[in-house]
Amino acid sequence: METTGDIKDAIDDKLADLKIDIEEGRKKLSVYGEKMTDYIKENPGKCVAGAIAVGFLLGKLARR
Amino acid sequence: MATRSQRPANGLSNDDANSVRRAHLQRASREAEQAWVHAREAVTDVRDAIDLKDMANRHPIGTVAAALGIGYVLGGGLFSRLTARVLGFGVRVGLRLAVLPMLKEEIVGIASAIAPSRNGSAAVEQSASP
Repeated sequence: METTGDIKDAIDDKLADLKIDIEEGRKKLSVYGEKMTDYIKENPGKCVAGAIAVGFLLGKLARR
Repeated sequence: MATRSQRPANGLSNDDANSVRRAHLQRASREAEQAWVHAREAVTDVRDAIDLKDMANRHPIGTVAAALGIGYVLGGGLFSRLTARVLGFGVRVGLRLAVLPMLKEEIVGIASAIAPSRNGSAAVEQSASP
């Protein structure tokens, strides 16, 4: 039979795992962000043109 | 007497008409060339003024966000219901963030102004009672 201490330990373990997962997710997001900014710096014209096109489509959709 | 093929209705001979046409074409080609040069100069000026590469190097995300906004406006999304909703939400949140601290300060100020006078009157009441 599980005691309250066991349950508390299990919750603590889960919380620790969750914290590790969140930290890994944050690291991955920052890596993707850096990649994105590098790509924009390397191809500014392409990115700006693409953004204008996407914005144009969004504006058309919003107008409907 | 000149026939119709030799002398057209405008009074010019075929050779004259051809030379006039050639002159027109040359002038049009010259004007087109000038317009092309002007357009290229204008594009170069705009490119120098904007300096996209430098802007993208300094603020990559901001540049793309600005381009997205320009596209949105060009697409006619500015005067749409979605824009009105988003703007309304932003204004509401902004007002809450700006006005709530001010209100809080005012309430705290009023409360602190009232509290000493209440304490003072309570003290007076206590001292008056036997």
